[in-house]
Amino acid sequence: MTQQGALAAVPGKRRGSAGQWLIAMILLAGSLVMIIPFLWMVMTSFDWGARLNISFPPKLWPEEPSLKPYRAAFTNIPMTKYIFNSLFISVGVILVSALSALLSGYALSKLRFKGSNAVLLLALSTMMIPFEMTMIPQYLLFSKIGLIDSYWAFYLPALNYAFGTFLAKAFIDQLPSALREAAVIDGARELSVFWRIYLPLCMPIIATMIILLFLGVWNDMLWPLLALKSASKYTIQIGLAMFTYNNGINQQPAIIMAATTVSLIPIVVVYLFLQRYIIESIALSGIKQ
Amino acid sequence: MVGVCPGQAQCFGRSLNKGGYIIISVHTKVEAYTANGPAKRRLKLTRNDWAGYAFSTPLLIGVLAFAIYPMLAALYMSFQQTSGSGLTAQWVGLSNYTYILNDPIFWKSLTNTMYMGVLSMLLGIGVSFILASLINSLKWDLGKNMFKGIYFLPNVVSAVATSLLFSFLFYPDQAGLLNYVIGWFGIEPVGWFTNSQYSRFSIVMMSMWGALGYNTIIFLAGLQSVPRDLYEAAEVDGASGIRKWLHITIPYLRPIFVFMFIMGTIGGMKRFSDVWLIGGTAGNPDGSLMTSVLYIYRSAFLASQMGLATAASYLLFVVILILTMFLMVMNSRKNSFD
Repeated sequence: MTQQGALAAVPGKRRGSAGQWLIAMILLAGSLVMIIPFLWMVMTSFDWGARLNISFPPKLWPEEPSLKPYRAAFTNIPMTKYIFNSLFISVGVILVSALSALLSGYALSKLRFKGSNAVLLLALSTMMIPFEMTMIPQYLLFSKIGLIDSYWAFYLPALNYAFGTFLAKAFIDQLPSALREAAVIDGARELSVFWRIYLPLCMPIIATMIILLFLGVWNDMLWPLLALKSASKYTIQIGLAMFTYNNGINQQPAIIMAATTVSLIPIVVVYLFLQRYIIESIALSGIKQ
Repeated sequence: MVGVCPGQAQCFGRSLNKGGYIIISVHTKVEAYTANGPAKRRLKLTRNDWAGYAFSTPLLIGVLAFAIYPMLAALYMSFQQTSGSGLTAQWVGLSNYTYILNDPIFWKSLTNTMYMGVLSMLLGIGVSFILASLINSLKWDLGKNMFKGIYFLPNVVSAVATSLLFSFLFYPDQAGLLNYVIGWFGIEPVGWFTNSQYSRFSIVMMSMWGALGYNTIIFLAGLQSVPRDLYEAAEVDGASGIRKWLHITIPYLRPIFVFMFIMGTIGGMKRFSDVWLIGGTAGNPDGSLMTSVLYIYRSAFLASQMGLATAASYLLFVVILILTMFLMVMNSRKNSFD
C-alpha cells in the first residue's frame, strides 16, 4: 500500500482498480505455467495407467490411482539410502564450509592481521574460477590420494568457501569491536572470544549459509558424478540420474515421476517452511550495494 | 556492487562451494596499517597476527588445494598428452590446443553453448524483470508474497528432476503436455528434444522455468531499493507510469542488469547437467546439444584425454573471461546515476 512501484500507476491509480486486477491476472497465468509441471508430475506418479507410457490425453486426475509406482520406485532404486547419503554429504559440507568461512571471516574482520588484505583478495579472486576448470585436476588429486569414491572428496573441497568468508566478514564488520577488546583485556583467548561472543551473534548469517549450501549441495550433479563410483554411495541426484539415464528418451513415466517426486520432497518441505528466509538469503547473496 | 550466483538452475554448475562468483570492489584499508607507524611494519608478528593466520588456515588450505593448485595443474596438463589412466604423460607443447582449435566438434559445442546461453540470458532477464516489476507494483501484500513463493519454487528443483520431468512434458508426440496444448491451436506435434532444430530452444525454455524465480527475486530486491523521491519528483513533472519505468527504474537498476548479464553469461557457458541428461554424451539430437563442458567431460572421462580436456577448459575459461570483461567495459562506459 505504501509502496507504489514502477508500473502501479499505468492504467489506474486507486487500489483495486482495473490495472491491479490485470496485473494479478497476468501473474496468476504465469503462476500456472510454474505450477502445472509439478501437478503433472505428482498426478502421473500416482497413475498406474502411466506405468509404460504417458496417458493420452493429459489428465488432471490419475487414470488408475495407485501407490504401485512408489512401491516400484522404492524397490528398483534404494531411495532412502540415497536420501540419507545426500543428507550426510550436506551436513558435512555445511559444517566444514560454515566453520571455515566464519573463522576466516572473523579473522579478516576483527583481527586485521598482517597480510589480511592479501588473504581476502586471494580468496575473492579465486571465486571467479569456474568449477569446470578445476574439476579434472581435482579429480586426479583425489584419485591419487585414494579418496575418490569417499565422502572426503566432498568435505575437503568444502574448506574453500570464499563466498561464505565474504558473507561472514561483511556481517561481523557490523558487530562492535569493543566486545572483543573488553574480553581480550580480561585475558580471554581469541578462540573463546570467537566461539562464546561472536558466534552466537552470527546466527542470521549462519542460517543464510546453511540455506545456500544446502540448496547447492543437495542439487549438485557434476562433482558427485565424477567422485562417486560405487552405487551404494550415490547421492539422490546421481541415483536418480543413473536409474533413468537413457539419453532423454524415458520410459515408465509413472515410476520415474514417483522417484522424482520423492527426491523433491526433502527440499520442497524445507522450502515451504523456510520460504521467507530462503528468498531473503537469495536476495542477499545476489545483491548487496 | 556485489553479486553472487550461489549455483542455481541458470548457472548450471550447481556447486555452491566452488561455483560462487563475485564482482566486488575491494576498499583496501591502507590507513589501518599506516596508523601503526612505520616502525612496527617490519615483519614483527604479534599474537594478533598469529591468531589471524591460524583462523584463516582452513580457508587458505581450501583455496590453495582446490583453486590455485588445480588451476596450475590444469595449465601444466594442457601441454601434455595422457594415455590410459592419466598416469603416464608426455610433453606435447601446444598440440592439444591446435587439435582442439581444428576440431569442428569443439567449434560446434562452443556455438551451441553460446546460442543457448545468450538466448536464455536475454529471455530470462527480460521476462523476470517484467515479472518483478509486476509483482512489485501489486498493492496486495499477501499476493506479492504468494507470487514470489510460486515463481521461486522451481528454483529449488534439481537439474536432474527438471530434466526428467520435462522429458515427459516435451514428449515428441501428442501425449506430451506441450504438444497437446499447441494442438488446440492446430499446430502439429513438435519433437522438442528429438528434433535438432528445436532441441536447443527447448533446453532454453526448460532452464527458464527453473531460473526465472531466481532473477525475479534479485530484481525485486533491486526495485525496492529505488528511492521513492525519484518517482515523486517525476510525478510532479507529470510523468506517466511507463515513462517512470523506462526513465527511472531501468536506468537505476543498471548495475543489477549488468550483474545479471555477467552471471547469465558465465552460467550459460557452463551448461552441462541438463544437456547431458537430455542429449547424452553425444549431445543428441544430431550434436545440437553438445556444449563446451560436455566436450570437456567427454574428452576427460570417456576418452581419458586429460590433456585435451584441460586445454579445452582453458579455452573455455578465456572465452568466459573475454565475455565478462566485455560486459564490464560496457558497463563502465556511461553511468547516468551517481
